[in-house]
Amino acid sequence: MTDHRVPAVRAEGLVKHFDGKEDAVEAVRGVDLEIQPGEIFGFLGPNGAGKSTTVRMLTTLLSITAGRAEVNGIDVARDPEAVRGRIGVALQEAGLDPRQTGRELLTLHGRLFGLDQAAAEKRTQELLELVELEDAADRVTKGYSGGMQRRLDLAAALVHEPEVLFLDEPTTGLDPASRLTVWEEVRRINGHGTTVFLTTQYLEEADQLCDRLAIIDDGRIVREGTPANLKAELGERLGGTEVTLDDVFLDATGRSRDRAAGEVQEVGA
Amino acid sequence: MNATIVLGKRSLREAIRQPDALLMTMFIPIFFLVVNTGQAAEIFPSSSTEFLQGQGYGAFQLPITLLLAASFGMASLFLVEEIEGGYFDKLRAMPIPRYSMVLGRLVAEGAKGVVISTVIVLLALPFGITIASGPLGFFLLILLATLWGVVYAGFMQLIALKTRNAAAVNSGGLIFFPLLFLTPNFVPREMLTRPMEIAATLNPVTYLMEALRSLILTDLDWGAVLPGFAVVAGLGAIMLLLNVRMIQSYD
Repeated sequence: MTDHRVPAVRAEGLVKHFDGKEDAVEAVRGVDLEIQPGEIFGFLGPNGAGKSTTVRMLTTLLSITAGRAEVNGIDVARDPEAVRGRIGVALQEAGLDPRQTGRELLTLHGRLFGLDQAAAEKRTQELLELVELEDAADRVTKGYSGGMQRRLDLAAALVHEPEVLFLDEPTTGLDPASRLTVWEEVRRINGHGTTVFLTTQYLEEADQLCDRLAIIDDGRIVREGTPANLKAELGERLGGTEVTLDDVFLDATGRSRDRAAGEVQEVGA
Repeated sequence: MNATIVLGKRSLREAIRQPDALLMTMFIPIFFLVVNTGQAAEIFPSSSTEFLQGQGYGAFQLPITLLLAASFGMASLFLVEEIEGGYFDKLRAMPIPRYSMVLGRLVAEGAKGVVISTVIVLLALPFGITIASGPLGFFLLILLATLWGVVYAGFMQLIALKTRNAAAVNSGGLIFFPLLFLTPNFVPREMLTRPMEIAATLNPVTYLMEALRSLILTDLDWGAVLPGFAVVAGLGAIMLLLNVRMIQSYD
């Protein structure tokens, strides 16, 4: 049966060049992606592979050099305003206003997403309870710990109940307990139907959370599939050995071990 | 417009939580007022100095104090901090008009400007300085100084958006700073040396200063006041246009 749903995220031949001192730097070199509504999609890659650049293009924060991207069928380059109303974004750095309290920040976001004051305050209280920051709600965010900042950042991305949530390395730098809290939260958000696009360097995180994932290396997608399928494919190539997602990642990126033997069909450009 | 007001209120909260920055904004200009007046008041006694219109030399210096205070805003530094911290990107990922992101901070700068200008003028009154143009002149004086503060903050914001660097914003401020002094700030324009007179005539800030000075020293003289408002309107339009273009093409 054909799935006629509009993909939550679609990218075709997505390219990003930055002007360098001598030549242009090709950060993303033709990424194709299709993420279905309701999926948790993991986007993995080594440092500098193009993960964050891809996310920034998909979230309207960075212009697209070539190719096209859509969120819920809306062209990111042609109608960025409409895309912004449908997405939530928590970037690599927990970008918070250091001089506002957690409560003020969430209420501000609610107002900026079009809620009236009463509705914004109500939503703020719900989110503070959700991320367990009620006790710190009236302190300025400058004094928050890294974990608290991440949780508040996540809450801020959820103020308007986005259809697609982009999380760029949401657990980097967090202690194990805070990381588990974020995982639980991502699962809960996804349980309500929100599509989640998650970049991470933690393979265990991708294995635990993601329905499907893609591995990007040097600006190109080099593997794509479900964690189980990717592991099974590599295991088969290695003659039935049990493999982990770490092995898949290392095989795909060839970073610190020799590539596993056998032909590999590279996905994407 | 709703987003502009919401962001403006946020910036005001930000300013209120940095009272030390507000105090410094007023301290340096008042320091210059006291020092300049102290040094030159003997040279220009009010009884025999025609351009003082019967007031003390402090009244002649008050405009530069107001312009300095209006030029010491912290908005661009807060913006750089926000860019470096990543919060600016969070705002950019929201469905809010780009002009609101520019105007939000400027609305707050305007509100701060009203308070700072009013406090400075009120502090000057007990020292014998009067606003000769009356209550309407007082209102126009505060309005013009405030609008200049908004325009100046807008240009500094432009540097912040372009460079995304606090040191560059500070240096950028130094580029604009001489404009405040290539003006008839110690004596009227006709008493300047010829090269300085030419420089002052070409400098738009001169017309702003002469408008403020006219409001302090004489009855309401629209011929002197209107050029000041025209300068603010013209520079303000350029500033807004450049800011919105910059923020729209911001990558």
